[in-house]
Amino acid sequence: MFRTLKPFEYLEPKSLEEATGALSKCGTEAKVYAAGVDLVPRMRKRIIAPKCIVNLQRIDEMDDVIASNKDGARIGALASLRSIELSALIKERYFVLHEAIASIASIQVKTQGTAVGNLCVATPASDVAPALFVLDAKIKAVGPSGERLIPIDEFYLGVGKTVLGPNEIITEILLPKAPANTGGGFAKLVRTVSDIAKVNAAAELTMEKGVCKEVRIAVGSVAPTVLRMKKAEDVLRGNKIDQNLIEKAASAAADAVKPITDIRSTAEYRKDTTKVLVKRVLEKALERTKA
Amino acid sequence: MKKEILNFKVNGTPYEIEVEPQMTLNEVLREQLNLTGTKISCAEGECGACTVLVDGKPELSCSMLALAARDKDITTIEGLAKDGELHKIQKGFIEKGAIQCGFCSPGMMLMIKALLDENPNPTKEEITAYIAGNLCRCTGYVKIIDAAKAAAEA
Ligand SMILES: Cc1cc2nc3c(=O)[nH]c(=O)nc-3n(C[C@H](O)[C@H](O)[C@H](O)COP(=O)(O)OP(=O)(O)OC[C@H]3O[C@@H](n4cnc5c(N)ncnc54)[C@H](O)[C@@H]3O)c2cc1C
Ligand code: FES
Ligand code: FES
Repeated sequence: MFRTLKPFEYLEPKSLEEATGALSKCGTEAKVYAAGVDLVPRMRKRIIAPKCIVNLQRIDEMDDVIASNKDGARIGALASLRSIELSALIKERYFVLHEAIASIASIQVKTQGTAVGNLCVATPASDVAPALFVLDAKIKAVGPSGERLIPIDEFYLGVGKTVLGPNEIITEILLPKAPANTGGGFAKLVRTVSDIAKVNAAAELTMEKGVCKEVRIAVGSVAPTVLRMKKAEDVLRGNKIDQNLIEKAASAAADAVKPITDIRSTAEYRKDTTKVLVKRVLEKALERTKA
Repeated sequence: MKKEILNFKVNGTPYEIEVEPQMTLNEVLREQLNLTGTKISCAEGECGACTVLVDGKPELSCSMLALAARDKDITTIEGLAKDGELHKIQKGFIEKGAIQCGFCSPGMMLMIKALLDENPNPTKEEITAYIAGNLCRCTGYVKIIDAAKAAAEA
């Protein structure tokens, strides 16, 4: 027999005010439910046993809309990974995010699971997070005392830990407009296509006359959180880009990571392949700045 | 815990039933509605045996609360045949011998249904990408892909 979930109080608030109010009342005993892909199996395995589940799907102010706005684009917190992957807007203007989600194998997981749920699980192996790091995304969170914007690279505190308070709800992901001549790339290394990453990497590069104007690089699965590779970025920013410099930046990235050994890979291998992946994503990003 | 009313449609039939909030969609389908064609195996999103269509899109009934299906239209494997006539996907599976133990078949067929609804003429690569989240322990993948092709051509 399969284990059933432990009983809990189920709430289906109609407004954010009602939802954050309910969360404040239940405190750390409550969990918000977006689509359940991560939550339900963890409840079944008794890793968590929330006393109260707050389903976000019926909240009036929440949606799954992916649309451009004056500053760039926004993704509603209820948007599924699959709808983001298939969005023409995302493919055209934020290709690195499309590429990252396309690398996740299971169509069912992507059809059901939300990108925000993926971020909140806070695994350093998320494929979505590095893409959002290099796109300089911001997360909008609403709590009882109002809303705040959290830059994605300040969102994570550790494995399974974010800066989100127990009574805060994410309502959208905001993506800034990318300047002209910008390109991005994502790559990951896996045991089998449906497994999570041993290492993954993303880069977003803006060029002007052969010189790197702006660059962001992020690597996942090599530390308790996804990491921005600032030293590697410094190697590139303001300089003429050639193969030699890309190699140098990739080495700087490998020097900056502190991976662990686990069932998927060894620390040493992860360090070595960080260099390879960063090189690959920079090459892809550079190629795409020309398109 | 207090029971809640769940209104939803399964294979076109509207239901109004009482469910306990901790019940998954899989449990309600199998145990309350006796629709045991939907399987459960890993219970954690890895195998696709529990796949159902929610408003036409493939999702995992093991990882979804039943109450999250409120007002939705669920299709299970029992909903494929119409008026005693098997669906062309089911016929394809029979014709190509794509069923061994049969445990993965409901999930596989619903994935192929979702694929053909989106893309009536998929390539072999598109079919494999679509069933990547479905495990066949009998490892009959080649015949499953042949069956999907046969259904697309039927
Ligand atoms: C078989 C399988 C394969 C996978 N493969 C990959 C992979 O290759 N790469 C990858 O990156 N991911 C992968 N995932 C992870 C998957 O993307 C996430 O589990 C899924 O997106 C979670 O989304 P959800 O909407 O179902 O969240 P839920 O399960 O509903 O919630 C997850 C967590 O997020 C919190 N939460 C959700 N929404 C909000 C919100 N709006 N505000 C505040 N908190 C919120 C919940 O409280 C909970 O703690 C895989 C998962 C499975 C099961
Ligand atoms: S039983 Fe749901 S995915 Fe395996
Ligand atoms: S036929 Fe046995 S699991 Fe696929």
